[in-house]
Amino acid sequence: MKKQTRTLRNLRQRQGGSSSSEDDSANIKLLTSPLIRRRTKTDKTPKGMFYSTDWAKTALVTNFHKRGWQEVPAFGGDWNFYWAGTQNCRYIFGIDHPYRMRSDQIINHFPNSIELSRKDLLIKNIKRYRKDLERRGDPLAQTLSPDTKLGIGGTRYKHLDIIPMTFVLPADYQLFVEEFHQSPASTWIVKPCSKSQGVGIFLVNKLSKLKKYACEARTFCPQMSRGTCVVVSKYIKNPLLIGGKKFDLRLFVLVTAFAPLKAYLYKEGFCRFCTEKYDQAEIDNVFMHLTNVSIQKTNQEYNSIHGGKWPLQNLWLYLDSLRGEGISHLLWHRISETIRHSLDAVAPVMANDRHCFEVYGYDIIIDDNLKPWLIEINTSPSMHSTTANDRMLKSRLIDNVLDVVVPPNSMPDEHWDKTPRPELLKNFTVLMPIPLAKKLPAVVVRSPKKRPARRRRAGSRVQPAQEDSSSAVSQRKK
Amino acid sequence: MEELQDASIHHMTAKVIAAIKNTKCYEPIYKELQRLVCSPNVDTHDMRNTLEDAIKGAGLETEIRNIVYNLVRSRLTKTDDKGLTHKQTSKPTVSDPLGYLKRAGVLWDRRVRKSLNAMCTELKVPLHGQPRISADREDFMAKWNELSNYNMDLANYRPVYAPKDLLEVLLSLKGPAKTTENTDQIPQWEFSHIALPVKNLFELRGHYADLLRSDSYLGVPDLTVQCQRILEGRHAPMCQQFLKKGCTPAPYRGALWASVLDSKLHDYDIDYWHKLRNAVWTTDHIVDKLVFKDIQLTASNDDQYFVFEDVLYQVLLCFSRDTDIGSCVDYETFPVKGKTYEGPPSGVVPFHGICMFAAPFCYLYDSPVNLYYTFRAFYIRYCHRLTTINTHPQGIVSLCLLFEKLLQTYEPQLWSHFRELQIQPLRVVFKWLMRAFSGHLPPDQLLVLWDLILGFDSLEILPLFAIIILSFRKESIMQVASLDNIEAILADLSSIKVLPLVQLALSRD
Repeated sequence: MKKQTRTLRNLRQRQGGSSSSEDDSANIKLLTSPLIRRRTKTDKTPKGMFYSTDWAKTALVTNFHKRGWQEVPAFGGDWNFYWAGTQNCRYIFGIDHPYRMRSDQIINHFPNSIELSRKDLLIKNIKRYRKDLERRGDPLAQTLSPDTKLGIGGTRYKHLDIIPMTFVLPADYQLFVEEFHQSPASTWIVKPCSKSQGVGIFLVNKLSKLKKYACEARTFCPQMSRGTCVVVSKYIKNPLLIGGKKFDLRLFVLVTAFAPLKAYLYKEGFCRFCTEKYDQAEIDNVFMHLTNVSIQKTNQEYNSIHGGKWPLQNLWLYLDSLRGEGISHLLWHRISETIRHSLDAVAPVMANDRHCFEVYGYDIIIDDNLKPWLIEINTSPSMHSTTANDRMLKSRLIDNVLDVVVPPNSMPDEHWDKTPRPELLKNFTVLMPIPLAKKLPAVVVRSPKKRPARRRRAGSRVQPAQEDSSSAVSQRKK
Repeated sequence: MEELQDASIHHMTAKVIAAIKNTKCYEPIYKELQRLVCSPNVDTHDMRNTLEDAIKGAGLETEIRNIVYNLVRSRLTKTDDKGLTHKQTSKPTVSDPLGYLKRAGVLWDRRVRKSLNAMCTELKVPLHGQPRISADREDFMAKWNELSNYNMDLANYRPVYAPKDLLEVLLSLKGPAKTTENTDQIPQWEFSHIALPVKNLFELRGHYADLLRSDSYLGVPDLTVQCQRILEGRHAPMCQQFLKKGCTPAPYRGALWASVLDSKLHDYDIDYWHKLRNAVWTTDHIVDKLVFKDIQLTASNDDQYFVFEDVLYQVLLCFSRDTDIGSCVDYETFPVKGKTYEGPPSGVVPFHGICMFAAPFCYLYDSPVNLYYTFRAFYIRYCHRLTTINTHPQGIVSLCLLFEKLLQTYEPQLWSHFRELQIQPLRVVFKWLMRAFSGHLPPDQLLVLWDLILGFDSLEILPLFAIIILSFRKESIMQVASLDNIEAILADLSSIKVLPLVQLALSRD
């Protein structure tokens, strides 16, 4: 339940005593008052953590109670930990109200995470990231030979071809039309820039379906673009099918800081299966193309006991058994790299507020060449559980998140360097910077412990540094 | 002494040769042999040596060895048993201490079939099936690859029996030599009155010795390379030996199982599969409805296997029409008065949860044909013993007895706790035993457990594993006082790792 009706109180402006929060004008007076008295922490015991949450989901609340945290209303501002919804975040981070968080407060969103979650901004950031790397001559921006056939990503990058070719409409309409005519047999998927749960998504293979945006592109109406903004991406026609059905992966990534990037990928996740067998030709049947649970739920075939969710471990077992040795490791490695690239792409533009962390829900589709494609990133992945297994997974996830973000027996502190103790990471794997001297297939999961520095023995050849967390510059080629 | 040995070898060889001649693979091998004899390598003057070399060169030697190995383990022991039981049934049954058990087995079988027949008469369908009407047949054929979409009205059908029905029958087994003591103090539910020979822990440890032995003195073995070499050799006993380690790399498991279960595909196998499929397409049988109902109730709802439901439909429908199964499976024979009832073509009446035996195979094989033959061999060899009452040392009755004995001996606290609560410990674990843990363990661990079943050729690991799970969760169980609570403690086995637990079970006293 969202508690947006009460305005959030900025604790720093409290002059002692509790004033009624109904009195908005009084608050504004307080906010503009030059005298800002700091609130002391003496009335809280060192171990007493207060939390607020906009979502009363089992996965969250049971973990808070497990730690003995007490709930307080969000508007009171007494919280140390706030699992907020987007509306309240907008208030907290908004420039109209100078809400400042105390140094012992932590919140579950970054100020401008729409750079990741809005599909048009995501593609803009990735394109810019690629161009930057290319300009710097970074080996990551390596391209394949010019006569390589273009795939769904529409680029010839060896490592950075991570997202299907995407155009923002109506702005890029002409570019899209050119591309469309070059490959007339292709199918495209149209998505609103900032909606979720599969709302407003449809497939097109004829230009006529996008007439609306053609008109808008021709007439110059800049004020319309924000409301009707959509993206059109090349549709992945050849997804990996299991049991004849299409599925996508939902993975969880915890980011505690963007500069330097501290990101952790959760080992557990699930595959969301469609309820109907995949058929390339039938593009109007959402039940075989869109994997969102909110859509599949409406199909009669939907089974609420398993919810179409298949644990990730089963996918690895299946691929290893049927596709050969080490396939699951290879795929996991590719997925980790894709996620790392997406985070590196937005890192320069993210406001690295020390009070923030975020749990992202990554949607990834694997095609039948076992290449992962980034589909979208959700900043508020649903903590709602549709099945028993789902509930347990999300519970474990939040438990792990809380351990990393607020280490046991301590309070949030904005001065903490956010380096968790290795044993607290449990099911999280650290997303390492991508090593540049790439040897395939690379080993995947590394422990977050720092490796001891290599010592040179007199007279011995300098060994090339193993793939480790030191920066790319120290890598030498053999 | 040597003469006796030679005579017995000669006798055995004659039996094996007679048996080989009856197998389907005899013809192709014979033809291959004839072709080799005509080849220039074979010298008619030194036929024996050159022919042997030619056979080894062509790779036929391993095939012949495998055939002999599989025959000796399965068919010949069966014919021996058949010989014995034939002698036994001619005598009156009083002298047979297990006579009542065999009788119970036959009665159970008859009861199940009678129930099936009753369902047929109630729903007015013939037991032997009727031809499908052409519209239905077209529909069926079109939807063969997506049978989950084939609509059937199954409201009137229910599974013929479920594990708990079999459990009730087992618990009510009464032996002939019942003590006349005051039975109020001693609950009637112990299996110890059944005089079946079961191993104790010492003997089990001997049988499973390979699990406890580690060959780390050779350095860290590279399992993948070993696997590849073994599979190149194609020698079934070697494959079986490898499975005993319990750490099979996933990509090779399918091939290893096929080798151990002797289910490699020949052309005539593929033809037979097509024949079965056509039988399913053209005739409508009541078992089809039961299969559909079962899959809809179990595998389709299981979040480990729901992805594979279409393949499971195909496999189990063909399974139910396969008459070969009836001839391979050994049933108890016992003279019992009363009517005999017919069963489905395969001889196996589908029960609630039968598809869970086939479900783990979906992780190993892509094509339904491969899956079918390996599953069928596994069912005939092992699963069948779990679903009927029989006197086999690895039948479900023996497993129950083994479980009780182990529990009583090594976990006396739990045993007395159960007695206080008046709960048969078997009630808690029976569903695990009857399904060989399928649907209860996560697939990757379940496949390890089944590796061990195949490797050691024994189902005795199931009660052993059940005991160690109970022992692992002993403290929680001791604190609760009702069957529901105990079941809740044991409901989630997702964190259990098979290999270390089994090694622990075997190595402690």
